[in-house]
Amino acid sequence: MNCQRIQDELLLEALHDGALPPGAADAVRAHLLTCDACRAQLASLEALAAQLDRIPVPPAPTDRMRAGFQAMLDAEKRALSAASASPRPASGLDRFFARFFPRRPAYQFAASLSLLALGLFVGARYLAPETKRPVIAQTENTLANAASAAELAELREQVNNMGRLVTYSLLQQKSTSERLQSVLATLQLKTPDRRLLTDLVGTLALDPSVNVRLSAVEALAPHTGEDLVRAGLIAALPRETAPLVQVAMIELLAAARDTEAAPIFARLMLDERADPSVRETARRALAILNTPNPSTAALPRRPAITKTMI
Amino acid sequence: MLAVRAGDLDCLGELFERHHRRLYAFCAHLTGQPAAAEDIVQNVFHRILKYRHTYRDDGRFTTWMYHLARTCAADFFNKQSAAPTPVDPADLHGHASADPAPDAHASQSDDLALLRAALHRLSREHREILILSRLQNLEHREAARILDCSVGAAKVRAHRALKALRETYFALRQNPQPL
Ligand SMILES: [Zn+2]
Repeated sequence: MNCQRIQDELLLEALHDGALPPGAADAVRAHLLTCDACRAQLASLEALAAQLDRIPVPPAPTDRMRAGFQAMLDAEKRALSAASASPRPASGLDRFFARFFPRRPAYQFAASLSLLALGLFVGARYLAPETKRPVIAQTENTLANAASAAELAELREQVNNMGRLVTYSLLQQKSTSERLQSVLATLQLKTPDRRLLTDLVGTLALDPSVNVRLSAVEALAPHTGEDLVRAGLIAALPRETAPLVQVAMIELLAAARDTEAAPIFARLMLDERADPSVRETARRALAILNTPNPSTAALPRRPAITKTMI
Repeated sequence: MLAVRAGDLDCLGELFERHHRRLYAFCAHLTGQPAAAEDIVQNVFHRILKYRHTYRDDGRFTTWMYHLARTCAADFFNKQSAAPTPVDPADLHGHASADPAPDAHASQSDDLALLRAALHRLSREHREILILSRLQNLEHREAARILDCSVGAAKVRAHRALKALRETYFALRQNPQPL
């Protein structure tokens, strides 16, 4: 036994690990008695290994991970029960979310969580029996049975849980100014990718801060050519409560001349609880959608949205 | 896991509760980035859910889980090398600085920080086997299953990694560099 062989064959590491057969272990030990260098090396190895055992286990962000996991599980269960139930025509919203949901990697889980919640929120609003809206006229027949009533109750329950959860995770992640910064950062990008746009739509639908949501509208403004953006605006508009943001969203959809938004505009125009400025904007937006030539009916642009007005 | 495969998704909740902390620890040590580790854990359970039909009961669930984690981590490392983001030292050492009585244990926690830095300079292969066999206390047999190699190969890899760690650690101690 010699130093070179001990080095080459990793015998000190093996001895430390208890991985040497008895004969070989004895031979290494015999060498150690006569060799200071190897003895010192073994000692430092053992000290290091002991220290390695003291490296603390990183505490897992259990609550946040569990929330994400649970949301994922619920979505899968819902998909399962939907698949096993009799097939029903997909609503526009289903199609909207189906377009990017299955392909979303879990890396962007927070974003997909937001969108899932958005889908559920919006879904619950559209499907709520007391508010029959033209958009779902084609699915009403299939919904009008007892099974779907139970489904609706379950959906609402999920929506409630999901809303808390998403708000929680949003608040957990960043401060308002940080969220604002991340939205504003997307303004610089000439061609934000689908993921970014999806995140912006999620922000618009779910961020608790009016300022952040308003900035999200502004960031989405150059991209209303994307179906995803228009569909996201249409999905988020019914749950928006701040008149400032409502007006910005209506104007954007009107400028994009998206006729799919007409039913929502009509409803807002007639909604007596809505802010007068919102109702007026919705009325003008409807007029624009009904005007054949886009160039003659441009909605007067409001002054640029300022981020400090709230 | 067999129940999950058969469609009982609630059982996956149990599996999550049982394993997510350990899996997170593995990923956090491996990447040195808590946020990335969290993403990877989510991704792993996403894949478990998505690919539950492919689970075969001749394997062990934890082995499969680690396999998926390694795949997801590899994706992460590929993305990172495509667009490298500097590792925030606060991320790396965040949980060490939370230790109580920093004065009394200053040199000890310095050593730990140095050890962590050394761990992160190792090749991913070496870091991985050390995390599995030392930090997660898995037997060589289990580590070998996770790494898809023979028990002998896992042992040799562990010994090489230990040697590399010792050398890197002492090199860093001789010649400290910004972490
Ligand atoms: Zn020697």
